[in-house]
Amino acid sequence: MRRAASLLAALLAVLVGLAVSISAVVVTAQVPEVAVKYVEGAIPLDPNSPVWADVQGVEVQLASQVLVYPISPTAESRTLLVKALHNGTHVAFHLEWSDGTQDVATPGGLDVFPDAVAIQFPTRLGQLPYICMGMVDNPVNIIYWKAGAGAENLVAGAGYGLSPEQRDALGLARSPVSPVELLPPNAQVVAARAAYAEGTWRVVLVRPTASVHPLMAQLAPGQPVSTAFAVWDGSRGERGGLKATSGWISFVLEAAAEAVTEVRTVTETVPGPAKVVEVTPTWAWAAIGVLIAVIALLLGLLLRHRQT
Amino acid sequence: MRVRAQIVMVMNLDKCIGCHTCSITCKNTWLKREGMEYVWWNNVETRPGPGYPRRWEDQDRYNGGWTLEGRKLRLRIEVRGDYRPPALEDYYHPWTYDYERLFSAQQFDVQPSARPISLVTGEPMDVEWGPNWNDDLAGADLIDEDSNWAGLQKEIYKQYRDVFMMYLPRICNHCLFPSCLYACPRKAIYKREEDGIVLVDQERCRGYRYCVSACPYKKVYYNWKSGKSEKCIFCYPRIEVGQPTVCSETCVGKIRYLGVLLYDDDAVEDVAKEPEPRNIVPRFLDEVILDPADPKVVESAKKAGIADAWIEAARSSPVYKIVKRWRVAFPLHPEFRTMPMLFYVPPLSPVITEGERALGAKVVDLFPMVEEMRIPVRYLANMFTAGNEELVVGALKKLIALRAYERSLNVRRPGEAEAARKLLSEAGLTERDAEEMYRLFALARYHERFVIPTARKKVTVKGIGIVRP
Repeated sequence: MRRAASLLAALLAVLVGLAVSISAVVVTAQVPEVAVKYVEGAIPLDPNSPVWADVQGVEVQLASQVLVYPISPTAESRTLLVKALHNGTHVAFHLEWSDGTQDVATPGGLDVFPDAVAIQFPTRLGQLPYICMGMVDNPVNIIYWKAGAGAENLVAGAGYGLSPEQRDALGLARSPVSPVELLPPNAQVVAARAAYAEGTWRVVLVRPTASVHPLMAQLAPGQPVSTAFAVWDGSRGERGGLKATSGWISFVLEAAAEAVTEVRTVTETVPGPAKVVEVTPTWAWAAIGVLIAVIALLLGLLLRHRQT
Repeated sequence: MRVRAQIVMVMNLDKCIGCHTCSITCKNTWLKREGMEYVWWNNVETRPGPGYPRRWEDQDRYNGGWTLEGRKLRLRIEVRGDYRPPALEDYYHPWTYDYERLFSAQQFDVQPSARPISLVTGEPMDVEWGPNWNDDLAGADLIDEDSNWAGLQKEIYKQYRDVFMMYLPRICNHCLFPSCLYACPRKAIYKREEDGIVLVDQERCRGYRYCVSACPYKKVYYNWKSGKSEKCIFCYPRIEVGQPTVCSETCVGKIRYLGVLLYDDDAVEDVAKEPEPRNIVPRFLDEVILDPADPKVVESAKKAGIADAWIEAARSSPVYKIVKRWRVAFPLHPEFRTMPMLFYVPPLSPVITEGERALGAKVVDLFPMVEEMRIPVRYLANMFTAGNEELVVGALKKLIALRAYERSLNVRRPGEAEAARKLLSEAGLTERDAEEMYRLFALARYHERFVIPTARKKVTVKGIGIVRP
């Protein structure tokens, strides 16, 4: 009888351990911050420039956004390879993802949905906005690039939280017309260059590090900034909310002066590719689970031994 | 009862001569812009034929409108999970001609020709399809692509003796239950409270084109230049100042009528959910469209904030008479369940010839009996009443009786007047009705055809008492 109980206890412990190790996908914190290297002078806009080949990238996981009626999302995940550089005045993101079909907006293309990519920034650093395009009291700034149409600097979520006077001062229409709005012409300071080859899009998006508009965050060396990414696959009819999105990824601009001294040490000390993991490491949970199971087994064996 | 008012159009197809003046004036007024070359907010289709865009009525192909699932209406695009809008080829590739060549070409024995040039790419092109291509080909086998043949043997109507045709001018139907509006995830489409006009807000629209797919009439169009969708605006800047739409104003046959209908907004969805499609139109006319002479309706209308001028206009509305009192006009494809607010008087057919009479055709004097008409009743019923032939026959009988009656007044032969009066009463009309119908269909002047209340609000300037328009 006792023997059965102890066996049961051991089995239970094993199960708990396994469960813990399986359901370990718990978002606790953004673990590493991605360093944005400083470069002297102009950053190459050309996505195929050899400069980009040497930059260490991070793989960002994207998942189809969950949608409600009348649209059903496609259920699959994609990967976006993100590289970044800054030169003090500008920060450039090199975005690379695979897409089997090149969909570009063309004259008369009534049934063409262009491929697109977007980077989302908070409008101010500190409290992170809601990841799904911001909130009334905490909007987001989005750089949106669409194949064949170019890049736009947008704000989302701001619309209904501002008075007409405030909106006037920000250069927006007095009454909001849309949850996503184009920032005024003086804030259209983003540039984009794209290249498509062999089933892969490579797009470079550039913005100033300075806050050109009150709804753009100031990016300063040493201060982490969270960004999120979205990709649209036009051949699947993706547009608007039909897209794949990432979680927040933290980037830190390296200081210009530090960079010189750090280059030497970095190459020696940083181990392997810096892959961004947003969750508490799975291996840790797995190890804990296995440990619990082993202890339980040992306890069970011990009990059995004592009985005999 | 929740009363609302809408400015509504009736087209009397019996009078349409297929001149396309409506299309051209609409195009010149609103659509001479880059990105809209292929677009015709107003188009005229020669039927039977595929229409524009090609085979637009075939919802297996385009996924427009609503489907009924139990007691629930769902967008067909959602049910089928297919949000693709039509391609340019489904409409047509717009073109102009290289007119310059007529002047600059070197002199030869043969005259120079102006080649077709694409309005999209600017390159020379071959013209292979147009917005009413079957008309250019005099029907031909393209009549096979018409969607209204159910219950008819279309091969018969290709025979020389049995061919028929009619014109179908189309604009946006400014529906009561618009699927375009419900399909838009950005809520860029709205139906105006004051006059029922359905519009696409160009500020909110981001060109996702769900509306283009969801409209069963394919009357929302994507502007590839602006990257936004556009549709017929019912010439609202004109309507607001009491002027008819451009297509109505310029109509050569004077087939178009504009007037106010009061309707019960509470009844709309229930009728849209009517399980038997053939009952949609009768219920639409009975339950949704309200009688503006009914004191209860007037009281509710006032309570709902409808201006006296609008209630007044509803009482003298030519549309009310044609649609509800005489029941001679029906909506296009009510089975799409969007509750279209544009009504068509079905066309009568031409007088019967001596030859046909010799072959035994039954006539009312010169005019064919309903069952002898060239255009099959079934065809019209498939188009306008979801197959309800009774309604179409009722309307055609009234129109025939009206013809016979008016003829009897001018051609005085013994017994003719009595016969005509008998026809009238069989069709459910009085002589007064006939007089009124005749006035409205044959004689009506501008202000009888177009009864449009203005939406202008009177503003009183404080302290001075000046009333400005």
